[in-house]
Amino acid sequence: MTNHWIDVKNADVVLIMGANPAENHPVAFRWILKAKDSGGKIIVVDPRFTRSAAKADLYAPLRSGTDIAFLGGMINYILQNRLYFEPSVKKYTNASYLVNPDYKGPGELPGLFAGYDPKKRSYDPKAWAFQKDADDKVRKDPTLADPHCVFQLMKKHYSRYTPEMVSNITGTPKDVLLKVYETYASTGKPDRAGTSLYAMGWTQHTVGTQNIRAMAIIQLLLGNMGVAGGGVNALRGESNVQGSTDHGLLFHILPGYLPVPSADLKDLSAYIEKHTPKTKDPMSANWWGNRNKYIASYLKAIYGAKATKENDFGYAWLPKIDPGMNASWIMLFDNMARGKYKGFFAWGQNPACSGTNAGKVRKALGTLEWMVTVNLFDNETASFWKGPGMDPAKVKTEVFFLPAAASFEKEGSITNSGRWAQWRTAAVKPLGQSRPDSEIMNDLFYRIKALYAKEGGAYPDPIMNLAWGYAFKRADGTAKTVDIHAVAREINGFFLADVEDKPKPGQPRPKEKKLLGKKGELAAGFAQLQADGATSCGNWIYCQSYNEKGNMMARRVKKDPTGLGLFSEWAWAWPVNRRIIYNRASVDLDGKPFNPKKAVIYWNPTAVLPDGKFGKWEGDVPDGPWPPMSNEKEGKKPYIMRADGVAALFGPGLKEGPFPEHYEPLECPIRENLLSKQRINPAAKMFHEGGLPDDVFASSDTRYPYVATTYRVTEHWQTGVLSRNVPWLLELQPRQFVEISRELAKEKNIRNGDTVEVSSARGKVEAVAVVTPRLRPFKVAGATVHQVGMPWCFGWFTPGVGDAANLLTPTVGDANTMIPETKAFMVNIKSKG
Amino acid sequence: MTRYVERFNTGERVLHWFVTMTFFTQILSGIGLFSRLFVGYFDLFGGGQGAILVHKYAGVLFLASSLLLFLNHRKEISVLDDDDRFWLSRLGGYLSRGHFEENNGKFNAGQKLFGMFMGASTVFLGITGLIIWWPLAFPRGIVQISLLIHGLIFVLFFMLVILHVYLATIGNPGTLDGMIWGRVTRLWAKKHHPKWYKERAGQEKTT
Amino acid sequence: MAESRMGFLIDTSRCIGCRSCQVACKQWNKLEADKTANKGTYENPGDLTPNLYNRIRFIEKDDGGGVKWFFLSERCVHCGDAGCMKVCPSPGALYRTNEGFVAFNKEKCIACKYCVSACPFNVPRYGADEKVSKCHLCSDRIGVGMAPACAKACPTQTLQYGPRGGLIAKSKASKKAVYGEADLSGLGVLYVLDDKPETYGLPANPAIPTSIFLWKDVVKPLGILGFWGSVAAVLFHYVTIGPKKLEGERSENGGVRHD
Repeated sequence: MTNHWIDVKNADVVLIMGANPAENHPVAFRWILKAKDSGGKIIVVDPRFTRSAAKADLYAPLRSGTDIAFLGGMINYILQNRLYFEPSVKKYTNASYLVNPDYKGPGELPGLFAGYDPKKRSYDPKAWAFQKDADDKVRKDPTLADPHCVFQLMKKHYSRYTPEMVSNITGTPKDVLLKVYETYASTGKPDRAGTSLYAMGWTQHTVGTQNIRAMAIIQLLLGNMGVAGGGVNALRGESNVQGSTDHGLLFHILPGYLPVPSADLKDLSAYIEKHTPKTKDPMSANWWGNRNKYIASYLKAIYGAKATKENDFGYAWLPKIDPGMNASWIMLFDNMARGKYKGFFAWGQNPACSGTNAGKVRKALGTLEWMVTVNLFDNETASFWKGPGMDPAKVKTEVFFLPAAASFEKEGSITNSGRWAQWRTAAVKPLGQSRPDSEIMNDLFYRIKALYAKEGGAYPDPIMNLAWGYAFKRADGTAKTVDIHAVAREINGFFLADVEDKPKPGQPRPKEKKLLGKKGELAAGFAQLQADGATSCGNWIYCQSYNEKGNMMARRVKKDPTGLGLFSEWAWAWPVNRRIIYNRASVDLDGKPFNPKKAVIYWNPTAVLPDGKFGKWEGDVPDGPWPPMSNEKEGKKPYIMRADGVAALFGPGLKEGPFPEHYEPLECPIRENLLSKQRINPAAKMFHEGGLPDDVFASSDTRYPYVATTYRVTEHWQTGVLSRNVPWLLELQPRQFVEISRELAKEKNIRNGDTVEVSSARGKVEAVAVVTPRLRPFKVAGATVHQVGMPWCFGWFTPGVGDAANLLTPTVGDANTMIPETKAFMVNIKSKG
Repeated sequence: MTRYVERFNTGERVLHWFVTMTFFTQILSGIGLFSRLFVGYFDLFGGGQGAILVHKYAGVLFLASSLLLFLNHRKEISVLDDDDRFWLSRLGGYLSRGHFEENNGKFNAGQKLFGMFMGASTVFLGITGLIIWWPLAFPRGIVQISLLIHGLIFVLFFMLVILHVYLATIGNPGTLDGMIWGRVTRLWAKKHHPKWYKERAGQEKTT
Repeated sequence: MAESRMGFLIDTSRCIGCRSCQVACKQWNKLEADKTANKGTYENPGDLTPNLYNRIRFIEKDDGGGVKWFFLSERCVHCGDAGCMKVCPSPGALYRTNEGFVAFNKEKCIACKYCVSACPFNVPRYGADEKVSKCHLCSDRIGVGMAPACAKACPTQTLQYGPRGGLIAKSKASKKAVYGEADLSGLGVLYVLDDKPETYGLPANPAIPTSIFLWKDVVKPLGILGFWGSVAAVLFHYVTIGPKKLEGERSENGGVRHD
């Protein structure tokens, strides 16, 4: 989230699209209702009329997988009707940048951007470059009139997304579409804010990243970034998914969103060179220019004293990926299915249920020599060898089950969607033999290290050199239990040597040396981190969370001086306790808030600083201390993480082009993309070519005529491993179901409550038909298209509930993130009586 | 010729007293259910649940025996003749001290009506009782009406029983003998049931 | 009833059908899960049960081309004039708490099930022990100043516990009509509804069933009157008109033989 949960109450319009917070974030839904209480309008866009829709002022149905068409239409509506917030668009975005005149968009090329290589299924982004002048500065047209400027290109690109076209693609009735556009575009005024809430309904598509890009463009156009009640807000599906992503959950990022090094970057300087953006613009803070400090401090945290300047702080020991290699979920299981792995840790996960194309996943598990499952309960993954269609006698995989403690049974922090890291203490002791994950990892580490010490092995250095100081030790020096506070301190970071507070360039050196920090002191913030190995920090964005003042994450002060719900002394938010990021975009060039009634920050020019200077920011922690942009000497542009300091309406470097363009899902009900000749995402990886038989798909195929989507329900959590073991919850949702419209039910002679079989090109699942007016057939390209939906919380391991909906979903993912496309695929349905 | 004529045989008497017994069991076990005023009567059965248990099963016995009693006397009570109508028009002469010449068969019209009422009431009490026993097996409206009818009939039944007891004991001396010993005095029979007495006398002569 | 009467407001316009109330209730009251089946709706279990004091009803309604989806917490509404208490023959089995709600005591329940039939809202249920159970608004929590478990768990303030007058005033201040303010001497559980009561399966004018009224308020007093009246009447008859004596006996007493 750019903003945070409580901030949703400040919104005048809440657009819930690709999310269903009433069902999946019920506790947080109170803030949406508070927005409604204050007169805000709630819009829900969803293929189904959900429990969220039940509370909305405005509901728009849309066919799964057509969000970009819907949002593109909104961009067009905003531009055509001049409803954008001009001060913000002109100064805080790259709208005025001039693009290479050779650039062509999908309106001119058959659904493609310039620079496409069909053999590689990828683009050369150089074709989308900006025009530069002799000084290597980007050429701009502040009037936004130049036909090659981003603004005009965007206008041209989205002029194709007329309401008629969009309605024809999405199936959303045109009047409803326009009502949504009108309502949401009303937040382009400075005193109004619109917030966007999304979740897996946007991400789990072949165009997932571009879905969010499209919304980001809308928010930038309407001036909804950095303001109270605005932002682009991902609703995380697990209580700590934000935290685990921050700490390097994904294959391509180290903690703190540092890129995982690739094998071609031979040393640290090559890594820093590649991943440190540069700017000549003095008004750009270019915060990623500090990359060297963060990676050096990270390496010091990982390898401790073993990391020295001479050995590149142990950079060589970091695991590397091959250049361009993708090691995402889909690829891991694809490789596993091809027998490339010996062993697998299924830690806190249930891929036999949650994995797209779960049938393929289950077969893949059978290729392993061993599998360790760490979970609270036995599940479809741990017991895959005795699952449906499996012959236990033939499965050779040796499975180990380690019982893990539940979140309530251990101490530590969780980071919620709003980036708030909140410390929790253990409520109860772990049951039986179950143990906290940290304890299991701790044991594992010492045992593996002992094995390496004894046997040597191929490359023991990364393990042998790991700094590992988290354990409370017994008298004999062996590890007893993990001190989770030691982990928190390592994440926060500390000084490894006395570091002098050097004056800024151009300022006089003080007579006495002032220390930034003493050896052993916890760092107060990431501005203190050093590139020379004098500091250690496990995750730079968490620097400040656990400092000399104490554990900031454990704070519980209920003070809200602004009334905006920032609660700055409740827990701690990354970065540096900033509650709303990009907040410098909420003020004008003089630092005056665009909406003074809901000022997130404002520049107080009369405040006197300790050094005798005047002026400081009040309110939330600003995106950097520099004065506002009207101060030409010291002022900085608002988007400090961008090298050019402004937000990118035009291409930040995604795989499928500089503007989001509508492409159909891999499996779709129509033969042609109504917008262009290119039906599906041209940059998405295709598995069926040379793939496994399980990678089959069936698009616009009469055997699978119905659009399907998957979702969660309030009553179960994720694959249901926790909730299916709670009889009270199983009582509420006892069995796999499929929601279908009354029209489809009539057509297929299905009565409400009948058992039906839902099948795709990959598998079939038995379910109870829930026939409901909450789903309606769509009119798409003049034809009737039926949509059905299923929850993915069930699995065969719980008797009588039915098997996983993911047996139906395809092996294909987003072109950028490879998140699987489980939200739009094609199925058939037939009654079993 | 003895002073007495036989009025009820042993079987009839046993059945009557069995009905009486189950009836009063029903009264005692059910009165607490009728109103919280009589909650103390539950103690006779070790509490409300015991009372309900007794009420249910004694109710079945009452239902069966009372119906049997009714069926036994069905022929004797089911037809009202002119004498009965006369009897009814004078309300059996109970409202004055003057001499009332009645010409009843074995049962007078009041007894006949009482018997018919008992039979019908037993059926209704039984049906409504069973419905109340299993409230979920029937529509709520039916159960609610059953509760009303069960209570209503009980009230009427009990009032008539009071009358019955009065008339069969101190209200008509000599009557109780018939139900206890099975025989009544000829005098009593001639007075209260002359038609029946004549029939009896005729039979005695022929035998 | 006293002004200090507490109330419980169910503002359905805030309900998202998450059913945390259903689970919290089971947890606090230590109630077993019911074995259920999906019968083509989210609503489960399909009815209140002896182990389910509170359930969310999911009501779909066609609405001029669109659809509406209503969620209603179905439970005992704690009538001011409670049919269940009216018919209950066992003192203390159903009782009114200090806060004004209707609670039950299984130890005093005699399993007559009259309350099951007498409830205007068809709420009380009984299980294998034949004893009645229903929402008691967590009498064991509110008695010590805590909110009922369901209200505690409700994430959207759909379920609100507080002084009854205050809850009504607050709803009226935000222009929300309140169901049950005056019915049955005022319901302890009040509803704010988004549609007509009938849409939610609630009676428009809740009242104690007529036959129950006739039974308890007419037949019962008249019956007691009738009983004593009958006794009085026969005694009166005995002392005024007197028994039908047999002439023969009279003369027998007078020494006349009459064979």
